[in-house]
Amino acid sequence: MGYKTILILLLILLSISMIVLFTNKFSMTCESIRVRVATTTSLYATGLLDYLADKFVDRIKEKYGCNTILAFMPLGSGEALRRAENGDACLVLVHAPSLEKEYISKGVLTDGHIFAYNYFIIVGPKEDPANVSHSSNVVEAFRRIYLAGELGKVKFISRGDRSGTNVRELMIWGLTGLNPKGKPWYIETGSGMGKTLLVANEFNAYTLSDIGTFLKFKSKGRIPNLVILYSNDTELINIYSAYIVSTCSGVEKSIASDFIKFLIGDAQELIAKYGIHVYGQPLFYPVKSKTEWLSKIWSVLSSG
Amino acid sequence: MNEIIEITLRSIYVSGLATLLSLSISIPSAYYLSRNSGIARVVIPVFEALIGVPTVFIGLTLYMLLSTRGPLGFLKLLYTPYAIIIGESILVFPLITAVIYRVMHITWVTYGELAITLGANERQTLMLIAKQALPGIIAASIMGFSRAIGELGIALLVGGNIRGYTRVLTTAIALEVSKGSFEVALTLGLILIVTVLSFSALSRVIERWYGL
Repeated sequence: MGYKTILILLLILLSISMIVLFTNKFSMTCESIRVRVATTTSLYATGLLDYLADKFVDRIKEKYGCNTILAFMPLGSGEALRRAENGDACLVLVHAPSLEKEYISKGVLTDGHIFAYNYFIIVGPKEDPANVSHSSNVVEAFRRIYLAGELGKVKFISRGDRSGTNVRELMIWGLTGLNPKGKPWYIETGSGMGKTLLVANEFNAYTLSDIGTFLKFKSKGRIPNLVILYSNDTELINIYSAYIVSTCSGVEKSIASDFIKFLIGDAQELIAKYGIHVYGQPLFYPVKSKTEWLSKIWSVLSSG
Repeated sequence: MNEIIEITLRSIYVSGLATLLSLSISIPSAYYLSRNSGIARVVIPVFEALIGVPTVFIGLTLYMLLSTRGPLGFLKLLYTPYAIIIGESILVFPLITAVIYRVMHITWVTYGELAITLGANERQTLMLIAKQALPGIIAASIMGFSRAIGELGIALLVGGNIRGYTRVLTTAIALEVSKGSFEVALTLGLILIVTVLSFSALSRVIERWYGL
């Protein structure tokens, strides 16, 4: 191989990377519109959002032409809101009322709408050594876990990641007046709901989970040791809200607004039916005709 | 199935370009360092240490720079494959440079001085060294590609794991794990390994072809 070949090789290396980078970026005749949506993982991982987005994009094709894409970024609620504050999302879908309130007052979030709800549940080992299933309310349930934990009988697994679920869990601990942080039986995983459930399953421990992720993992046989030990229609309600980020503008913003309108409008029926044929029960509940009741609960939760 | 193929191709495209981009800076840097051993003595140990830098750290730093409010926000590169390409090329730069430097340094000691005493000019010397070091450069590229395609932190932070746009093999694996679909996650992992292995095998074939 002569040195000319080597010279050419080097030149190719230099140029290919640059050329491909730029031609690709600017050769699009019809630039697609990308709406950046920061969403909580529990919502995205169920597949609901991709399903709704497909239906939505079909409808707005005529209005906006070209290629509209809802770019979902599955994150924890804490990270999703932080990215929104930096202006790196146009729409946020979250379930952490107290965090949401914080960002509303900072002026980051506008035009909020509750579009779905479901429940948190306390799950744990079938044998239920802490007798959580006999609790009359959620605060009592957590107290029982604390007591059994202190006696060395059980462990509690916490997300510990400032996600919506974690925020709610800490709020409940606050109501009990007990502080489990730093206790040897209180384990923080710092990871998503799925992984946290797996850890709870391994340790035969208790944890607070959203119903969607639990049903998903249960139906796949990943968490055979865990069962639902406590659920409650009002205390453990989990409210999902959509917001427009104040820094968002232009076409991206109007598509985002249309998506929110779709979520609280025609999508409600789709939300109500989603997952029934797989899990035997819906993963999310529609908010229609209950908005007032939900807003009231939301404000109670947000002042946590 | 189509989606898996698409994700795999995107992974190869993104990490391949990142490796090429990095090579275009690494080769001249390594050549320069091999001729200036004083600087190399300081720089190369630093590069070698940086090979293990956490990808999330590079990802977060790049995110802060490319964020709409960041100093480079006007480039509008955040949540695009190009952001991942840039991040991964930064990630593999120390690795590739350190490896190529080693090869070039030895080549220089073995042939370079000899070539000059025999009357070769600067350009001829450069070509001789580049040619002799080619197998090392190919090996370094494969290492860099493998490191780039297997990293998660950068792709997740600056790519955003957007379906059909910035979702690559590693971010798809992470998502499938969080969905509880372990079988899919394992399949994707195997595809990743097979991809890396076949690129390595391909490089051997090319080396044979040219009789290197």
